[in-house]
Amino acid sequence: MIKKQLLKIPFIIFIIVLSIFFYLLIIDRNPSKIPSALINNSVPEFETNSLFGDKKFYSSKELKHEITLVNFFATWCKPCRDEHVYIQRFKDEKALNIIGINYKDNPKKTVQWLKKLGNPYSNIAIDSNGRIAIDWGVYGIPETFIVDSKGIIKFRHIGPINKKKYREINLLIEKLR
Amino acid sequence: MIIKKKIIKILFIVLFQFSVNESNAVEPDEILINKKQEIMARNISKNIRCMVCQNQSIDESNAPLAKDLRILIRNKIQEGKTDKEIYKFLTDRYGYFILLKPPLNLSTIALWFLPFAFALIGFFVIFFHNKKSKKSY
Repeated sequence: MIKKQLLKIPFIIFIIVLSIFFYLLIIDRNPSKIPSALINNSVPEFETNSLFGDKKFYSSKELKHEITLVNFFATWCKPCRDEHVYIQRFKDEKALNIIGINYKDNPKKTVQWLKKLGNPYSNIAIDSNGRIAIDWGVYGIPETFIVDSKGIIKFRHIGPINKKKYREINLLIEKLR
Repeated sequence: MIIKKKIIKILFIVLFQFSVNESNAVEPDEILINKKQEIMARNISKNIRCMVCQNQSIDESNAPLAKDLRILIRNKIQEGKTDKEIYKFLTDRYGYFILLKPPLNLSTIALWFLPFAFALIGFFVIFFHNKKSKKSY
């Protein structure tokens, strides 16, 4: 009698494991998206050339006085073009300060690209060899960060911004403001 | 006899396939002149995940980011940085996920020790099960 009961245990464990796997399968989860090691840390310090004029770009000057959206992009990246309309909306509808980081790109092409699509960025840092992106833990563009007024990274999104993400980021910005 | 020879041939080919399958993506211009430093760089690279492809190390991956990181690691070694400092530099930016071998800390303790715990439970179950079944005979 006891033996028969014992035989049920592996079956019950199997059902539990199966339901855990099934749960992980159906929830909205992308295993290739990794939480950033930088959340709740200060923005990395860097200086480089600015895309506009012959000026230098200092992260300490640009990223520590108001809530800022930092967007890694390049003209050769198709998803960057797709999300550009939302970056523009952050500027037009929410008056958000937006900093672009132009990843491994040709500055001339970038200027042309912005003339055609509109420029939502208040300043753009040139990351010609991808070294700045490594400091931010970026591994695939586009990537977007929200930095609060003290220069602390509060949010990271990997991949293009879509309607859903646009709303989510807006809610976060309202909270931070 | 012929069949036996054929089997040995096939077996040899199959085994040989596995033996030479150590590929790497390090390009000639990346390799350091100092052999000791190069070996150190290769050993670190083998334990660093390529964040783009995720199941390859940067030593094996041809992704541009993997190449950037290989060069960065070599630069750090030439600057005289230790293994520990280089690993810390990378995990500070990319988190522990970048290490192919997870470190032993509070958040990974279950990962490292649960298999032993399960094995122990298994031994107990077998032991007591045998005891009981002996009694019933």
